[in-house]
Amino acid sequence: MGELRVLLEHRDTPGIETLDVYRSTGGYEGLARAVSMSRADVIAEVKASGLRGRGGAGFPTWIKWQGIPADAPMVRYVVCNADEGEPGTFKDRELMLKQPHMVVEGMAIAGYATNARYGFVYIRGEFLESAQAIRRAIDEAYAQGYLGPGVCGSSHSFDLFVHMGAGSYECGEETALMSSLMGERGQPRAKPPHAPLPVISGLWQRPTLINNVETYSCVPHIIRRGGAWYASMGTERSKGTKLFSVSGHVKRPGNYEIELGTPLPELVELAGGVTGGSLKAVIPGGSSVPILTAAQCGDVRLDYESCQAAGTMLGSGGFMVFNEHTDIVALMHVTARFYAHESCGKCTPCREGTRWMYQIFRRITAGQGRPEDIDLLLSICNNIDGRSYCPLGDAAAWPIRASIQRFRDEYEYWIANGTSPLGATATPKVS
Amino acid sequence: MSAELVNIVINGVPLTVPAGEMIIESARRIGVEIPHFCYHPRLSKEAGANCRMCLVEVSAPRRNPDGSVVVAKMPKPQTSCSLPASEGMVIETETPAIVEARRGILEFLLINHPLDCPICDRGGECPLQNNTLHYGPPTTRFVEQKRHLPKAFPLSDYVVLDRERCIHCARCTRFSGDVAGDAQLGFLKRGADMEVSPHTGERFTSLFSGNTIELCPVGALLSRSYRFRGRPWDLMTQKSVCTQCSNGCNIKLDHRAGRFVRVNARVNEAVNEEWTCDRGKFGMEYLARDDRLQAPLIRRGARFEQATWDEALAVVARALGDAGAKSAFLGGTRSANEDLYVVQRLFREVLASNNLDHRMGPDFVAVGAGAMASDGRPTPPVSFGELEDASVFVAFGADMAWEQPMAYLRLRKAWRRGTIRLVSVAAKGSAEDERPNSLASMAAAVVRHDAGHEVEAAWLMLRQVVAAIGSDDPLTDEVRRQLAGVKLSPEAIGCSPQELATAAAVIVGEAPAEPTATGKLAIWIGETAVRRPGMKDILAALGAVAALSRYDGRVSVPATEVNEQGARDLGISPDTGPGYRAVRPAGLNTAAILSGVADGSVRALWISGTDVVGRYWDPPAAIRALEACPFLVVTDLHLTPTAQMADVVLPVASVAERNGTFTNVEGRVQQFLKAYDPPSGVRQEWRIAMQVAARLGSAMHYASSREMLADIAATVPIYVGCGPDALGDEGKRWFAEEVAGQ
Repeated sequence: MGELRVLLEHRDTPGIETLDVYRSTGGYEGLARAVSMSRADVIAEVKASGLRGRGGAGFPTWIKWQGIPADAPMVRYVVCNADEGEPGTFKDRELMLKQPHMVVEGMAIAGYATNARYGFVYIRGEFLESAQAIRRAIDEAYAQGYLGPGVCGSSHSFDLFVHMGAGSYECGEETALMSSLMGERGQPRAKPPHAPLPVISGLWQRPTLINNVETYSCVPHIIRRGGAWYASMGTERSKGTKLFSVSGHVKRPGNYEIELGTPLPELVELAGGVTGGSLKAVIPGGSSVPILTAAQCGDVRLDYESCQAAGTMLGSGGFMVFNEHTDIVALMHVTARFYAHESCGKCTPCREGTRWMYQIFRRITAGQGRPEDIDLLLSICNNIDGRSYCPLGDAAAWPIRASIQRFRDEYEYWIANGTSPLGATATPKVS
Repeated sequence: MSAELVNIVINGVPLTVPAGEMIIESARRIGVEIPHFCYHPRLSKEAGANCRMCLVEVSAPRRNPDGSVVVAKMPKPQTSCSLPASEGMVIETETPAIVEARRGILEFLLINHPLDCPICDRGGECPLQNNTLHYGPPTTRFVEQKRHLPKAFPLSDYVVLDRERCIHCARCTRFSGDVAGDAQLGFLKRGADMEVSPHTGERFTSLFSGNTIELCPVGALLSRSYRFRGRPWDLMTQKSVCTQCSNGCNIKLDHRAGRFVRVNARVNEAVNEEWTCDRGKFGMEYLARDDRLQAPLIRRGARFEQATWDEALAVVARALGDAGAKSAFLGGTRSANEDLYVVQRLFREVLASNNLDHRMGPDFVAVGAGAMASDGRPTPPVSFGELEDASVFVAFGADMAWEQPMAYLRLRKAWRRGTIRLVSVAAKGSAEDERPNSLASMAAAVVRHDAGHEVEAAWLMLRQVVAAIGSDDPLTDEVRRQLAGVKLSPEAIGCSPQELATAAAVIVGEAPAEPTATGKLAIWIGETAVRRPGMKDILAALGAVAALSRYDGRVSVPATEVNEQGARDLGISPDTGPGYRAVRPAGLNTAAILSGVADGSVRALWISGTDVVGRYWDPPAAIRALEACPFLVVTDLHLTPTAQMADVVLPVASVAERNGTFTNVEGRVQQFLKAYDPPSGVRQEWRIAMQVAARLGSAMHYASSREMLADIAATVPIYVGCGPDALGDEGKRWFAEEVAGQ
């Protein structure tokens, strides 16, 4: 357990963003191997690896791939969700910027495995440099025959396009991403049990595979070195390695790749340890997941199951560390503002509930809180959770509910005194 | 929807429903109403399920890895409006969790809603009010500032938007995008700032905008004409039929204290489903105009004087009686069937004149009963249902969404379903290209030609179809000869050969696998073509196109005025009487009547309900004729330009003030019922005709519109099935079996 670099093994190799250097590290061997295998064998290799979706939900990747009707007489699409917008997460940005060929190769393998003709990389609008890097990689890959007609000398053809988002968090939700990609308003679409999965009916009602940047990046390694090799890392149910974007009160914030199942405190130490005081809380998986108290952190291992058992989630790996001077109410004020700003407006609970919660936080941090506001916030969380159209509503409710459950005394202090319990040292500052 | 049936349980009641039916609909089958806002059965499901009001708890069978099946409860409540029924589903709609969830949703919907119900038009018929009363929290916990936006923002001449009241259900945006096809309404901004709006800088010019007012589950979209004019509980309502075009939309005519207030759609699945168009919904405002004629007018020199009915009828009876066979009747396309039947009896039986016509175009081809079958049997016009089921539809010289709004909506519905291919043939720069709602945007082929070249376009279409099919076998020698005479190139009339070829390919259709093609081809000729000379040619050419197509083709010249079809059916024609029975000797047609008033062959003219000056294809000719007319009597609601040229003007009761029937473009006879009393000084047209007949010594004995309709059904063969007891709320299309062998 601990740091284990697979995706980031060559992060510091000069020129790794170019095709030649990437190839010298074994790049595109996975693709070449894949097109020499049957589609079913490629998927079997992914299945053997135990790879699960790295975008946040942790859904077994091979099931999605298997779900694509690869032989049906219709066009199929492969989409890379590169709309990395989860606060605290910045791993996909680095992968695309520094190792764009790994993403391209992973998508090309997925395109082959699902018999898809076209691929789209849907990149967050703010990630201009990452998009440029991906575009350059795509151009190089075309020139070398890794993309386009007859991928790697096979009879399979695969064209890859870059599409830039327009700055909406919601478009990272896969069905909203598809709406946006099709030129519609970035709002989510129906999913089971109301409508078929994207793998059956996605973009333009055609079978569509959507995976995260990091998920695709794992694929070349799995095909090149074997599913069994990948599955030898991690835990029983959480295989392989995972990138964490460590930020907050640590000495060396940045992206770290660790073996799944690594104890949470080890990651904090890997990032140089807590700065500015003792550890108060950690949000392990991005702003959408429930916050952990320092006391809870000691026992948590960073894998899907352990996080869930601890009442939080691994999420997208946005690992935020907070020291003792962190004002939880102020932190949640910022969080509530984010979700109110990013709610797409489609469904009632999220549209109205996120704004209402933000209004209440604004009032509490302006010294106008009322004792009943705490239970009101909890009640609003309950009225959003599980009733919104897509998970954005849940993601707005969970962190606030957890913060009240775990740091209720700070809310009570704010309401009773109209100021932060931490006085002048409190961060973040309430604006 | 598949025919497969599945077994489900709702609130403990087992029932069998079609697989894929939305649970909210299944629940209705057993009387369980699930509250909702965004759900509407005629709007797309894909963009729905957003209000979250219709949440239910669902358990469904799930297969375990070992193969056993368990019925497992889904962890989250599901929206029943978008949940397709599947085998073994167990639904609960009234659990404590659902009751609480509804309460929570309503609280969310109300926190930013202004609750200005006392001054809101929707108050009293508002789904948000009703659901809040039944399911909502009695008080609010919201102490923050509500959302504030300018009130009553005008989206168009007809619709205002109050964004504070909007609950973002997306009914209006879905209607505009899916049903109407203009996609003019969408959402701007996001989250709690989201607002309904036309696209930036544009206006809501849809021809169907009024439907969004009725669809809106709150008072956010409001009618500008109805705004602040009444509370729903003060209104009386009556079943009526829209008079603004031939489609005959069923409407609810709301009135208050004897005055028209507004129109809402009345459901008739066969006709307008539950839509109206703006031309109808807002055009019916004419019923509330203040300049209604209240008493008969008799011309004294340059001006009119009010007269008693006795005086006026004496003058009219004397003039018509003196003219006798040299009397004539024009118009009638806005009159009820009952009026037309009595009027034509007056002319044919009492005055011995067959000079009746309703047509206002230059050509007088027989279009009345659609194509007359070879045995001379009248064929009822194409129904909306048949139109929707057609394989190919061709609009020729038509501004479809304006002229035939419900036909347009049906065609759009079929197009969305992917079962129809559309061809739009029209002049460049015609209204079809200007409208926000047009066939062109959906058409598989769009042919545009220079204005005024409809005839040439029709022949070129035929030539292209002959080329596409490689044979001209079914054509008559006459048509072959005419076609051979067409030397024009497409370019000569500004037409792209490629467009023509595409259109011909669509019309001809794929070679059928079976010897007989079962698909239908409908070709509709619109007003632009009808109002120019050359209809004979156009009908000949397009008739040949229909005959050549591998589809079962039919050319129609659909009626465009409210009772134009009734005027055709009931013999307001010089050569056919009621039921298309040939009349000998044939009387004068419109053109001959108008020229006849100058040369003395027509000595007295009755114009009914049609502003001939405005409607005749050659207005200067109409004005010259009417100026020369020895005696002109006009029956109408208002002093139209035509009425101003009359010797006697007789005011008649409006559609709201009497009972009667109209026959719509499909040949469907539909009843309208009296909503309120007419002004004391006006009479119904049939009564006027009867009173004139009586003064001429020929009494007719009808006491009510019901008696007349019964007589029509008894004496006009094609209307035999359309008697007063047969019509019901949906109306009835006429049919022709009874005249077989005539």
